[in-house]
Amino acid sequence: MAMCIVVIAKENYPLYIRSTPTEYTLKFYYMVHTSLDVVDEISAMGKALVYQRELYLGLFYPTEDYKVYGYMTSSKVKFVMVVDSSNTALIFQKLHNSYTDVMCNPFYNPGDRIQSRAFDNTVTLMMIQVC
Amino acid sequence: HMRDPNNQLHIIKNLKIAVSNIVTQPPQPGAIGKLLNDVVSGSQPAEGLVANVITAGDYDLNISATTPWFESYRETFLQSMPASDHEFLNHYLACMLVSSSGEAEPMEQFSKLSQEQHRIQHNSDFSYPKWFIPNTLKYYVLLHDVTAGDEQRAESIYEEMKQKYGTQGCYLLKINSRTPNRASDEQIPDPWSQYLQKNSIQTQDSYEDGPCTMTSNKNSDSNLLSLDGIDNEVKVDGLANTLRVHPLHLDQSSDPSNNPDGSDHTKFASSAPGTKKATAGVTHGACLTLTDHDRIRQFIQEFTFRGLLPHIEKTIRQLNDQLISRKGLSRSLFSATKKWFSGSKVPEKSISELKNTSGLLYPPEAPELQIRKMADLCFLVQHYDLAYSCYHTAKKDFLNDQAMLYAAGALEMAAVSAFLHPGAPRPYPAHYMETAIQTYRDICKNMVLAERCVLLSAEILKSQSKYSEAAALLIRLTSEDSDLRSALLLEQAAHCFINMKSPMVRKYAFHMILAGHRFSKAGQKKHALRCYCQAMQVYKGKGWSLAEDHINFTIGRQSYTLRQLDNAVSAFRHILINESRQSAAQQGAFLREYLYVYKNVNQLSPDGPLPQLPLPYINSSATRVFFGHDRRPADGEKQAATHISLDQECDPESCQQWRELEEHAVAVANRGAIPAGFQPTQYCLNSYSDNSRFPLAVVEEPITVEVAFRNPLKVPLLLSDLSLLWKFQPKDVSGKDDEEVKELIAAGPEMIGTEVISEFLINSEETKVARLKLFPHHIGELRILGVLYNLGTVQGSLTDGIAALPGYHTGKQSLSMSVRGRQDLEIQGPRLNNTKEEKTSIKYGPDRRLDPIVTEEMPLLEVFFIHFPTGLLCGEIRKAYVEFVNVSKCPLTGLKVVSKRPEFFTFGGNTAVLTPLSPSASENCSAYKTVVTDFPSVGTALVSSASSVDFGIGTGQQPEVIPVPLPDSVLLPGASVQLPMWLRGPDEEGVHEINFLFYYESVKKQPKIRHRILRHTAVICTSRSLNVRATVCRSNALGDEEGRGGNMLVFVDVENTNTSEAGVKEFHIVQVSSSSKCWELQKSVNISENRDARLASREKGKFCFKAVRCKQKEAAVQSSENYTFADIIFGNEQIISSASPCADFFYRSLFSELKKPQGHLSAPPEKHSTEDAVRLIQKCSEVDLNIVILWKAYVVDDSKQLILEGQHHVILHTVGKEAFSYSQKQEPPEMELLKFFRPENTTVSTRPSVDQLSNLIKTSLHYPESFNHPFHQKSLCSVPVTLLLSNCSKADVDVIVDLRHKTTSPEALEVHGSFTWLGQTQYKLQLKSQEIHSLQLKACFVHTGVYNLGTPRVFAKLSDQVTVFETSQQNSMPALIIINDA
Repeated sequence: MAMCIVVIAKENYPLYIRSTPTEYTLKFYYMVHTSLDVVDEISAMGKALVYQRELYLGLFYPTEDYKVYGYMTSSKVKFVMVVDSSNTALIFQKLHNSYTDVMCNPFYNPGDRIQSRAFDNTVTLMMIQVC
Repeated sequence: HMRDPNNQLHIIKNLKIAVSNIVTQPPQPGAIGKLLNDVVSGSQPAEGLVANVITAGDYDLNISATTPWFESYRETFLQSMPASDHEFLNHYLACMLVSSSGEAEPMEQFSKLSQEQHRIQHNSDFSYPKWFIPNTLKYYVLLHDVTAGDEQRAESIYEEMKQKYGTQGCYLLKINSRTPNRASDEQIPDPWSQYLQKNSIQTQDSYEDGPCTMTSNKNSDSNLLSLDGIDNEVKVDGLANTLRVHPLHLDQSSDPSNNPDGSDHTKFASSAPGTKKATAGVTHGACLTLTDHDRIRQFIQEFTFRGLLPHIEKTIRQLNDQLISRKGLSRSLFSATKKWFSGSKVPEKSISELKNTSGLLYPPEAPELQIRKMADLCFLVQHYDLAYSCYHTAKKDFLNDQAMLYAAGALEMAAVSAFLHPGAPRPYPAHYMETAIQTYRDICKNMVLAERCVLLSAEILKSQSKYSEAAALLIRLTSEDSDLRSALLLEQAAHCFINMKSPMVRKYAFHMILAGHRFSKAGQKKHALRCYCQAMQVYKGKGWSLAEDHINFTIGRQSYTLRQLDNAVSAFRHILINESRQSAAQQGAFLREYLYVYKNVNQLSPDGPLPQLPLPYINSSATRVFFGHDRRPADGEKQAATHISLDQECDPESCQQWRELEEHAVAVANRGAIPAGFQPTQYCLNSYSDNSRFPLAVVEEPITVEVAFRNPLKVPLLLSDLSLLWKFQPKDVSGKDDEEVKELIAAGPEMIGTEVISEFLINSEETKVARLKLFPHHIGELRILGVLYNLGTVQGSLTDGIAALPGYHTGKQSLSMSVRGRQDLEIQGPRLNNTKEEKTSIKYGPDRRLDPIVTEEMPLLEVFFIHFPTGLLCGEIRKAYVEFVNVSKCPLTGLKVVSKRPEFFTFGGNTAVLTPLSPSASENCSAYKTVVTDFPSVGTALVSSASSVDFGIGTGQQPEVIPVPLPDSVLLPGASVQLPMWLRGPDEEGVHEINFLFYYESVKKQPKIRHRILRHTAVICTSRSLNVRATVCRSNALGDEEGRGGNMLVFVDVENTNTSEAGVKEFHIVQVSSSSKCWELQKSVNISENRDARLASREKGKFCFKAVRCKQKEAAVQSSENYTFADIIFGNEQIISSASPCADFFYRSLFSELKKPQGHLSAPPEKHSTEDAVRLIQKCSEVDLNIVILWKAYVVDDSKQLILEGQHHVILHTVGKEAFSYSQKQEPPEMELLKFFRPENTTVSTRPSVDQLSNLIKTSLHYPESFNHPFHQKSLCSVPVTLLLSNCSKADVDVIVDLRHKTTSPEALEVHGSFTWLGQTQYKLQLKSQEIHSLQLKACFVHTGVYNLGTPRVFAKLSDQVTVFETSQQNSMPALIIINDA
């Protein structure tokens, strides 16, 4: 079950943040934000292999209670998810599809905050479902 | 310089000696904690520290390069490490025994001291300090105070000492060559300050009373002095090379000289326990001269070279020898040795296992410890190579024995010495450190040691730029037990992250936040704040709003606790301003905190300027300013003029309309010309209006400013005592205080009254406007600066659920959490885009809507409408009353009304007798002025005449501007005038908005405001009533009585087009009047059977009237604007159509009609005579007859019958053409193909149409309608027929009458073949203007039957014309004659 799902733009500002309403929201924020460093590291590492590189970045780091997973699209939009367990590659795939749908919306201005209801629903599903 | 065991020379650099008191107590853990805390908080980043800018990705960070607090922490931490059993680094090597020369028995004293030292070292009572080796080096120092003591005696004692202890082991130190009272004169730098300052910070605990650190550093000018209760700490630091600070200590203790009067140095105030801290540092060392300094330095050098180093050298050699011998043993008898040693160890082991998980405790003389001891010594004297190998050996031994604590210590030191070895023959064994730390922490549970190890390791790693490892190490050590340590370590870790090759900015920020958190827990507020601020740099403006808010909030709190209120305020402000996604409760908390802080700020500086508040937002460009009083609400029947109010939306289109109206009025008032510099009056200024000029306000009239507030928060905001903030520069007549600028409210309400809104509640995320008023009482220049209010929250609203009720909260409640502040209103003007320069750059024009100039008194008009209808039938006439009230103290004059629709209303003509009946009395009266007639028959008309001038329609005037007929044309202050006003429903169906603009002036001429205006917009809904269609044609009947030239027939079709079922029952045509300059209706031709001329819904009635020319002389008619009115009555009341209001409306509609088809009437004068002729011809077909149909409508409304009255106008221009009262449905012209042709003006214009020509001559045949003729008597019947020819035109016309049959049409032949004209068949005549000529003709018939006599063809031409417009004047009607056989 995902605790927090964040979509981050290429310029590292959040496009979409959603977390389970707990008192840890702030903590998730910090966690996700800090994980961008890891993304940077990984992407710097794989610069040579950028074309072969998997979109799925895998586990960033485990904390005491949660694990942080990441995923980066070819356009350098990052998905970061704080989960307590599970196979996230699939979820990220779903999330990516949904995100692509959002992007296909001609009324969506790339770089804006995502306010799509469909995307919201997808995320909600991910947060509820025990994947 | 010393020799190692292999007799190799070894150079020691930068040796530092630490000296301390022998009676020092082991530092208490609590005391250490406190000390560390103080050190850290005492060390703050310097103010002007140049921070480096690190650019990482898109982040630019200011990070201070050094962290002095951490370094001092580390130093203090290492210094305060208690000496432990498993290592010897903190153990004392030597002891200085000091005695004063003033002592009575110095030698005795020395021996006493020596015994004392021995006792301390070997007695188990004194577990501290720890000694390195059993036989400690003793160094005897005789302290001689030059000023006080006897030099000779000192020398002699020294000699004695030399004999007893040898020259190597004693020293005479002479100090205090100066008297203390001279001290202040000389400028000798205080040699102790460097040490004492630190000391004074640290000396809260008595264990370090007067420590003087000695350095044998060659640069060092510092020295030791000891006094009574001396504690000399000799610190040896051999590690001054690669790392800046790598403090490893060897503490030696010199013996205490319990010489009570040995110290007469006042400078060492620290000797007195009570004053140790208090004495000013200035007095320290004041009694020392430079030679004294040198002496002290020399003393230390002497001590080091002659006493200490040889001692160390000796000890190392000793140990080495021991080890070599043991090594030999251990090689062969390894296991035996173990057993041998273990035998002695066993008892301790069992004990130690209980208390120490490290497994073993070695006795102090165990050979393993000897190795360690030697290693430590080597390390101290910077012989790292040897030290490493020794440590390595020791480590192996300890590991074999499972003595984990010892092993860890050895590992640690091995790693350090490996690192410090300058040649670096082996790679740095990082794993040693790892293991050591782990052992310390997990096995030994000794956090202090672990920390030391980590600190060392981290420094080493950092110096090798292995930042990530260092960071990991540092982070791992953070734990719950020590906040300060965790904070510092986290901060260091953060710095590691940022210093990495690819800087990890976010990790840096995150750890900074963690560090800040721990700092705040540890009570290090300043550091906490600093950490948060640093982290803020990363989070700022990146969209991570929640995190940003959290940081801001913390910064705010920390700043507040540090009394940095400005920062706190700005941080809180930031939280509130940001459009954050915080929950409402959190926002409420933020807001409360903010207010609380703000309140404190204000309390601190109550006299300071009011703070700028960030909330709520003000949409400054939406600010509107309104000058004048509020509109009065409609009061019963009275309806005030709408004027302008802030409630209205402003659209530029209507603004333009009003502006045009005002221009008209001004032009009329100035006799046709708009004065230069005319600007339309603006009462309401908003973002669309032209704000580049200073608006004018009138004294004693309120200025209303509408401010748009927006609450971005999810909690309601309560503004109380909301008022405007202004600055006023009075323009005094006396001019004495012109310069005085009165600021703020304090200037007093006698200048300008300010309205205060006591409570103004803005709900969450609401936009609300507040209207604030000012009452200027003086003339001058006003500047509205901003708004002033108490910002507060609604407390308890969430629980009480009464948030929605403003005003419910008592003042106290809201005041408890509110802050007074201001917010400025600054409005940016429109962007300038006129010149090129302005186009290329971005410039904004001024916006002066908030800077009104208060001018002198002006009259103020209020207008009320009484009985003003909202719905009318088309053409309906309704009487209403207008009340003009002058509410000011000035008389007003020149009242005018301007409207685009002058035909809509009238105040009555000048001639009308103004009897302002009270509105209530006139309720049931007709709007018209009527005269009861008992004319039994309806046929004939009543004639009256009136001039258009009487109705205010002069020539040349703008018809839109109507002066209001005020009595005496002046309205005095307070006076009111009621005037009747008639309204006529517009002809068009639908909703009409009619704008009235009342223009008036002051009696006194004002330079600034010439006039004032009042606006009113009336909305009238009209519904369809009647549609009138009229035609006129020439009557063929001869003017029987007189020979006057024109009789015409007027046909009027009236159709009831009203469709509303409920309202109008039927229309009665009451009267038809004509109005013309030269025609009048004479009588009704067809008297219908229904006398009232009723028209039910959708019915159509037809009327036929006969019109004749007026009797007036034509010349008179032409010149004057007199119109003749002729009324034909269908009822029994005559409505005097030539009086108000009927005539008013008639004229107005006439003029509005005339405006439209102007080309027709005023054709330009043409040169050609032919065109003159054409005009003549045209003219004779013109009629200038206007028909007014007056009607009554019976309306059933709620079982009450109402009679509505109205009138329609039809303007007839041309004979034969149909005219409508209102062209109802104009078919949109179909798209025409664009035609390209040369307009052939000449032919088109000169050729009058056939129609027009046919009107030139009017013909009529007079004959008996039936004629009896006895055919059997006479077969030929001849009938006399008179042909009347009348010239309608005003020129001579040649007429040819041809009686011959036209042969072309066969049908005509057939028809007319049966009769023939007798006599002359062609006549040529000339007819003078308006002449009537009769021709006697004879028609001859042979059979009985019906014949058409209308065969004569008449050709006409203007006699002075060459070309003949030969047009047959065919009779339109057949002239039938019946021939009977008698």
